[in-house]
Amino acid sequence: MVVVGLGSPFLMDDSVGPRVVRELAGEEFPGVRFVEAHAGGLLLLEELSGTRGAVIIDALIDEGLPPGEVIVSGIERTSHNAACSHDCGLPEALAIGRTMGMTLPGDADISLVAVVAKDVTTFSEALTPEVEAAVQRACTAVRSILARKHAGPPAEAP
Amino acid sequence: MNQRITIDPITRLEGHGRIEIFLDDAGEVVSAYFQVPELRGFESFCVGRQAEEMPNITNRICGVCPEAHHIAAAKALDEMFGTPCLPAAARIRELIYNAFFVTDHTTHFYCLGGPDFIVGPDAPKEERNILGVIRKVGLDAGKAVIACRSRNHELIKKLGGRGVHLCGALPGGWSIAVSPEIAEEARQTARQNIEFALFSLDIFHKIVMGNEAYRNLVLGDLYAHQTYSMGTVDADNAPNFYDGTIRVVDPDGNEFTRYKAHEYRDHIAEHVEPWSYVKFPYLKKIGWKGFVDGPQSGVYQATPLARLNVADRMATPRAQAEFERFFDAFGCLGNGPNGRNRPVHHRLATHWARLIELLYAAERMQELADHPDLCDPNVRQIVSYRAGVGIGCVEAPRGTLTHHYSCDERGILTSVNLVVGTTNNNAPIGMSIAKAAKGLIHKGIISDGILNRVEMAFRLYDPCCSCATHAIGTAPLELTVRRSGDGTVLDRIRRGY
Repeated sequence: MVVVGLGSPFLMDDSVGPRVVRELAGEEFPGVRFVEAHAGGLLLLEELSGTRGAVIIDALIDEGLPPGEVIVSGIERTSHNAACSHDCGLPEALAIGRTMGMTLPGDADISLVAVVAKDVTTFSEALTPEVEAAVQRACTAVRSILARKHAGPPAEAP
Repeated sequence: MNQRITIDPITRLEGHGRIEIFLDDAGEVVSAYFQVPELRGFESFCVGRQAEEMPNITNRICGVCPEAHHIAAAKALDEMFGTPCLPAAARIRELIYNAFFVTDHTTHFYCLGGPDFIVGPDAPKEERNILGVIRKVGLDAGKAVIACRSRNHELIKKLGGRGVHLCGALPGGWSIAVSPEIAEEARQTARQNIEFALFSLDIFHKIVMGNEAYRNLVLGDLYAHQTYSMGTVDADNAPNFYDGTIRVVDPDGNEFTRYKAHEYRDHIAEHVEPWSYVKFPYLKKIGWKGFVDGPQSGVYQATPLARLNVADRMATPRAQAEFERFFDAFGCLGNGPNGRNRPVHHRLATHWARLIELLYAAERMQELADHPDLCDPNVRQIVSYRAGVGIGCVEAPRGTLTHHYSCDERGILTSVNLVVGTTNNNAPIGMSIAKAAKGLIHKGIISDGILNRVEMAFRLYDPCCSCATHAIGTAPLELTVRRSGDGTVLDRIRRGY
């Protein structure tokens, strides 16, 4: 099982993914690997390779939702934001990996925890107050997913 | 009433961007613009920090070329603290850097730029991607692409201390030496990379140059621009991505100038347009004459194609053979000034040039991996803070990248300026988009294939928008789009002062 916090640590609310991972990495989750990552698509595919389940935490841009709202979903709700435009999106990357015969979690074993961001274009290591207030709720969401889905001994590669 | 077409987001571009095309009443293109989102406050974020943090800050500017920023920052620190990089550390840096070039150029050819040719420019957009490429060239090719990225990322992780955002750079050195096991892995990786590069060139020759329609697209006028070319060369005027002298040649192939990184401000100035917050660098001694071709215009390009145009040769044998084949295909081999090749101005040839660079990077990796002193443990030196200026330059995949810092006697940064690869190409990207749009869109008829061919005009530059905007400092401007010619405001986009 891998928990990936996606985002730049220097672009305000974009850092919420890595921040949540840092909060959780000190807790005991046997067999769970925590990763801070910056890019989706094929780089994310390399992180998921060899795992049975994944939780991906990312900032979400959605002007229709209030900043700080935490949304938990499966990958059917991914957009180019939850993935990445550097090479391809997450569903496309998974399709490529599966075509190649890579060991990857099934769609049902990938969860997304998205935190609605307010500002992802200003250089700062701080979160906006709305997103800062959402960090613990996002952590709780990840803990719930791990409690519900995580089972079995560590079987992680690479 | 003018009609406005917006393509947003641009598919398969590194980072996010937006093109706007303006049509007149007859449905003909009046103008076209390429816009990128703004990111704020990079300089103020950095000023006041310890200078040695910069390799690890700038490598997170974006997820696309962290290695380029990491190495350029390291070179700026070498100069700022007066500690030339130790030879063993310089070899490690260059080895990592070439491994990065292999992964980056591979991604562009198979995921970003190649699908237009391999799948076809008029194929449905849902097929113009790497999955479409795999369907066309076979599953084994797809596996080779994934394996190529994976083995080079693994090597970078071992040499650089961390995957993706490596952390090995120190002023004047590198934090970890190479073990014999990693050296062997580097040699194997280099050998596999050479095979992969040759395989990729073979695909290009068969599928692109072997197809009359695609070949005509590459050799035609629609995507051609006669500008100056810029790139870094070694003492023999062969391209080197890690270090050397910056050389500029004119549209006919005469050397216009050559200079060291720290002299860049004597040679490059930046033009500002009211409708864009990304600046437009140009050759200072020629001057800004607008978005126009020719020797009288200061516009230059800094791309894989530009790097071949400024070069007299390639430093490795297989890349040299392909270099000659390349210029011969365009009728430019050896018939320029003083027996040089004439520059190739067909911008779609950049895809081919990128693959030649992929081959060179793989061969250069092999040279470095075979170096008898690769495992030399002498990679670190003691550095003392001093007030100073440091300018570090590398060839990023997207063009010449410059990091320029100043610090006080405690090593605290007092100013930061970056000129990133994509910014160099800002003017030519706009020119290429406008020319393609004007050549393809008539009477308001726009198909998906036509729009894609317009997108191809900038995709060939492999622009990375996030870097280009990060480099701009602290003063956001209001962005106004005007009609070219009479200056009528067509759109105004909210940006705070």
